[in-house]
Amino acid sequence: MTSVIASTESLREIERLLYKEASFLDRPDLDRWIELYTDDGTYWMPAIEDQEDPLNHISLFYDDRVIMEVRRRNFVHPRAASKDYKVRSSHIISNIQVQEMDEKTGNCTVTSNFHCFMYYRDKQTPFAGTYTHELVRDGDSYKIRHKRVDLINCDAELASIIIYV
Amino acid sequence: MSYSNQQLKQLVQPTRFHRKLYTDPEIFDLEMERIWGRSWIYIGHESQVPEAGSYITLNYGKMPVVMVRDKKNEVHVLHNRCGHKGTKLVDKRCGKIGGFRCCYHGWTYRLDGKLLGVPHLAGYEGTGFDKEDPQYSMQKLAKYESYRGFVFATMNPDAPDLKTWMGGAAAVMDNLCDRAPEGEVEAAGGILRYVHECNWKPFLENLNDTMHPMVVHRSVVDAAEDYMRTLPEDSPRRDEAEILPPFGQSYEYMEDMGITGFKYGHHYDGGQHSIHKDYSLDPDYEAAMIKAYGKERMHEILSFNTHNTLYYPSLTIKSAVQNIRVVRPVAYNKTVIETHSFRLKGAPDSMLQRTLLYSRLINANGSMVGPDDLVAYERIQEGLKSNGSDWIEMHRNFGRDEVLEDRTVGKGTSDLDVRTQYAAWTEYMTGT
Repeated sequence: MTSVIASTESLREIERLLYKEASFLDRPDLDRWIELYTDDGTYWMPAIEDQEDPLNHISLFYDDRVIMEVRRRNFVHPRAASKDYKVRSSHIISNIQVQEMDEKTGNCTVTSNFHCFMYYRDKQTPFAGTYTHELVRDGDSYKIRHKRVDLINCDAELASIIIYV
Repeated sequence: MSYSNQQLKQLVQPTRFHRKLYTDPEIFDLEMERIWGRSWIYIGHESQVPEAGSYITLNYGKMPVVMVRDKKNEVHVLHNRCGHKGTKLVDKRCGKIGGFRCCYHGWTYRLDGKLLGVPHLAGYEGTGFDKEDPQYSMQKLAKYESYRGFVFATMNPDAPDLKTWMGGAAAVMDNLCDRAPEGEVEAAGGILRYVHECNWKPFLENLNDTMHPMVVHRSVVDAAEDYMRTLPEDSPRRDEAEILPPFGQSYEYMEDMGITGFKYGHHYDGGQHSIHKDYSLDPDYEAAMIKAYGKERMHEILSFNTHNTLYYPSLTIKSAVQNIRVVRPVAYNKTVIETHSFRLKGAPDSMLQRTLLYSRLINANGSMVGPDDLVAYERIQEGLKSNGSDWIEMHRNFGRDEVLEDRTVGKGTSDLDVRTQYAAWTEYMTGT
């Protein structure tokens, strides 16, 4: 896919949204994070390279609003053993490219590379890969309709992934 | 090895076992040699090697092995080692080959492991090396057998045949396959590999530990129920709403499920009912089942509801969910748990999709159930470094389990599953 040329203004706006999302995950603040998604928004982390289908193949995550809502409540539950530890992340996003843009609506598909260090249970874990965001216009701003997280080691033996990357 | 059989026997007593079983690397090595070496170990499903030359690789205990289908359509389980210098012959997780060819000196092997070609053979003339000597071929494991497509192998030439070894627990494997309108399942939807920084045994002990879900999984049950309360009454039915809340079932419910233990360490909980019993019946699936079996037989199949069934020590299956987990020990304090999902042949795609949803919600690295269990196992691994006590207890309902001809049955909260495992542990470890 070749990227399309988007105006500096829309690029800035897209960047701002991606950075905002990353900063909510850095905290992590799932209450504010979830509001960046449309009601039919989904978050997908495939378990293999170039995975085509979230339903007929296993994934590490495939959450729609319902699961996101359960997850955000579970995350702050006082008795969730695996959540009894601070989670701190640092996301760096770069190589942002607008892959498709509907000039009429402004809806677009954006890819970016990310590096994320996550600190949890005395261990620091690096995650790296590509994000694909499908963004839809929502008044003056964008909302996320779909986020795909392709880890470069998605098919490796992995430990628990305690929160969205 | 410094442990005598007498010393090993002292480590497992009727209602307790010693912490060294989790913490001593030497015990781990002995377990790989004697438990993994003597019992049947799950290798994979025949459908993972559909054609001649299809193979999968894995570690059997610590040893690299390969399951491969040959040109006569026979499935073999071979040591994944070149007969020359010992190079691992195939190194991908799965693939398809015409024959084996070593990446180092180009020795080639047939798909059943027989050595075919050695380059520049003249150099061996008169040296005592004989290409036809079977020791230079890829070595077969002592025995391998398939039960309804599930392939097991053993290093033990004296092991009982697979069906005998499975005993009454084979009924659950039958039930898994019978749930397919065509009476067969096939591996589908890929494999998750989940690193557990702990010994391999706490995972097994947890399978039918029915005293933990209402504690460990309270949070996800609360979260799901809390969210569902915010939804309007007429919201569409969601599989999640059937899968998650039963993890919070009461002690009484768990008690009623019952636990059944067998020889060689196998066990299951449930039977009449389990936390999977109230899943909605997909209408297309129901129609396919009625067509295949008739109503009465379908009800018989679907009413046999077990939760986890362990084929000690390497495989646990959920017949009602159609997923399995495979135990791959790495070290005394590291284990990889694989989750595989299965398609019921002749069933609509929605059935596989529910299986995958279950695997994602409950067993995946990113799920809200497995990671809570894992924290408990890892904290056991850490806690047992303490010499405050040397023992882990397993008294619950001791003396109240009912011993029948081929099985032991008890209340669902009984530690009989753990006692069953450790009886097998002692038998394998001491050869008695």
